[in-house]
Amino acid sequence: MLRVLVVGAGTMGGVHARAYKSLHGVELAGIVDPRVEKAEALAVNSSAKVFSGFDEAAAKLKNLDVIDICLPTHLHKEYVLKSVQLTKNIICEKPLARSLEEAREMIEVCGKKSVRLFVAHVVRFFPEYKRIRSLLDKGKIGSPAVVRTTRGGAFPKAWENWYGDPSKSGGLILDLLLHDFDFLRSCFGEVKRVFAKTLKREEASKEMIDYALVTLRFQSGVIAHLEGTWAHQNFSYGIEIAGRDGIIEYDSKKISPLSYQPRNKKSGAGGVKVPESPLASSPYREELKHFIECIISGKEPLVTVLDAYRAMEIAMAAIISTENGLPVTLGGHSEKGG
Amino acid sequence: MKLGIISFAHGHAYSYAKIIKKQKGLELAGIYDDDAARGLGAARHFKTTFYRHLPQLLQSTIDAVIVTSENAKHAEHVIAAARAKKSILCEKPIATTLKDAKEMIFCCEENNVSLKIAFPVRYNTPVKRARAIVKSGGLGRILAVKGTNRGTNPGGWFLKKELSGGGAAMDHTVHVVDLLRWFMGAEIKGVYAEIGNLLINEAIDDSGIVTMDFDNGAFATLDFSWSRNNNYPTWGDVTLEIIGTGGTLSVNAFDQKLELYSDTDGISWNFWGDDMNTAMLLDFTNAIKKGQKPAITGHDGLKALEAALCAYESAERGVPVTPRIFQIDWVK
Repeated sequence: MLRVLVVGAGTMGGVHARAYKSLHGVELAGIVDPRVEKAEALAVNSSAKVFSGFDEAAAKLKNLDVIDICLPTHLHKEYVLKSVQLTKNIICEKPLARSLEEAREMIEVCGKKSVRLFVAHVVRFFPEYKRIRSLLDKGKIGSPAVVRTTRGGAFPKAWENWYGDPSKSGGLILDLLLHDFDFLRSCFGEVKRVFAKTLKREEASKEMIDYALVTLRFQSGVIAHLEGTWAHQNFSYGIEIAGRDGIIEYDSKKISPLSYQPRNKKSGAGGVKVPESPLASSPYREELKHFIECIISGKEPLVTVLDAYRAMEIAMAAIISTENGLPVTLGGHSEKGG
Repeated sequence: MKLGIISFAHGHAYSYAKIIKKQKGLELAGIYDDDAARGLGAARHFKTTFYRHLPQLLQSTIDAVIVTSENAKHAEHVIAAARAKKSILCEKPIATTLKDAKEMIFCCEENNVSLKIAFPVRYNTPVKRARAIVKSGGLGRILAVKGTNRGTNPGGWFLKKELSGGGAAMDHTVHVVDLLRWFMGAEIKGVYAEIGNLLINEAIDDSGIVTMDFDNGAFATLDFSWSRNNNYPTWGDVTLEIIGTGGTLSVNAFDQKLELYSDTDGISWNFWGDDMNTAMLLDFTNAIKKGQKPAITGHDGLKALEAALCAYESAERGVPVTPRIFQIDWVK
């Protein structure tokens, strides 16, 4: 049994804790959150112990195989560095860190201590995105040319509104568009140039929205346009790839495998419509299952810590572009996307 | 009202001719084409007179002309029509150079002739409704717009730069730029573009994204690629996703459609919305009858062309480009 400590019982901590409870060969050993009631709710139906602080968990839990950091971005470095003393495997939510400098330090320390660091870029594990990669690999649309992605919905509500503070979350470009930077890089290789626009800071915080449009030019010549939004109402995502011989389109808004709408008998009005895309195993569970398999077998994960770092580089270049109004050229890497 | 068509080089000439034939009160009185075989064929098909020389058409009793020649020939044809005092509807883009565009505008003003540029999407009913919502303040202040105007590779002279002035960026930047100016009443102050030759074998730009800053503080992007392939269910699109302080609005000009699954014709989207070309043409002829200024002016055409030319310049230099503010130097 691999013993896992989940740090943070917010949205992602909840998703991860529930996944661990369903995975064979994994024991959810503990959950840390100062909001103890949240951690307790997640510990139900497991032997997990609940802690209000990380240090307490570190003192009381022995033989931890995995520490899974599901904290706001600005806390990743501190807790990854604490975790290297306690375990040989760390899973960290994306983005890996708030800055490239922090990310480099985390990678370096983990390397020195021979601790494996896995970064939870879950989009790689979404079946629709996996299928897109396989269709591209099979040459179904020929050589790719123009790519469009969209992702977002309402402004995320979370603990102490940390998403609303760019110094903590890195804002929409680092937090949200990172998914697409990583996925596109995995399909089309390294990015040459980035140009990006976003709302003015004061405008975004006044309206409690955010919005960004980013253009990427890949070394291969592929042109990609990314939309990131915290200005809409409902979460959705989509991707379209136009190649020389065909087009792949996916829009989560346009698929409707299941939509449940209970009738509100008291008011006579319709209840809230809840769309679902049910899968036997969620992409989050598949991601953690893959990381656990990699931990047991020692093999390289589908998305490496270098991939996570490179995706951050694209995000940081985009942020710089929004600040100076100029295209930002990335340093030429020879490594191909994972 | 008698109308002439100058050149059937552009496929829209056939659409306009069909509309004229259908409308009571409009007459397709003659055709000139520098490709005599093409012009004769069209004249026979639409049962009208073919003129071998442009002055013959312009000296006939027509009231107005539609110029649907290759982009680079618009200037020659518009200027000739203006000198003959005929009202003009000119296919977009207005021209391939700013110098030509200015001369066309100047010549029309000098001859007191109305010049309208064919931006039919202004007459698309969902687009008109979207603009009405924006103008009524329904979105508050516009902060950002994501636009697309994709299409299929048009082939033919569109791929010859000396005739078209450029590929996809020239062909498909102008429509959405015109809509953005019309929606916001704002002008472009910066243009950045990534342009590619990634889809077709001919050496001309066929794909790209242009990003624009407007003087009202909003930014916008546009995908102008010829990226719709043969098996895509339709020829292309015009879409706008608008982000305002008071909400979001998404408009898809050609989404009023049926999905048709045919064993003989394959899968296609069958558009049933209002015909924007008819609305544009009738607005053109009605304005002439009433002696009104055209709804879309040569200046609108020039500003849209300027954006497309800035996109090329930006892609070539690798930096954002500021449109040079045009002094109205053609007014003496």
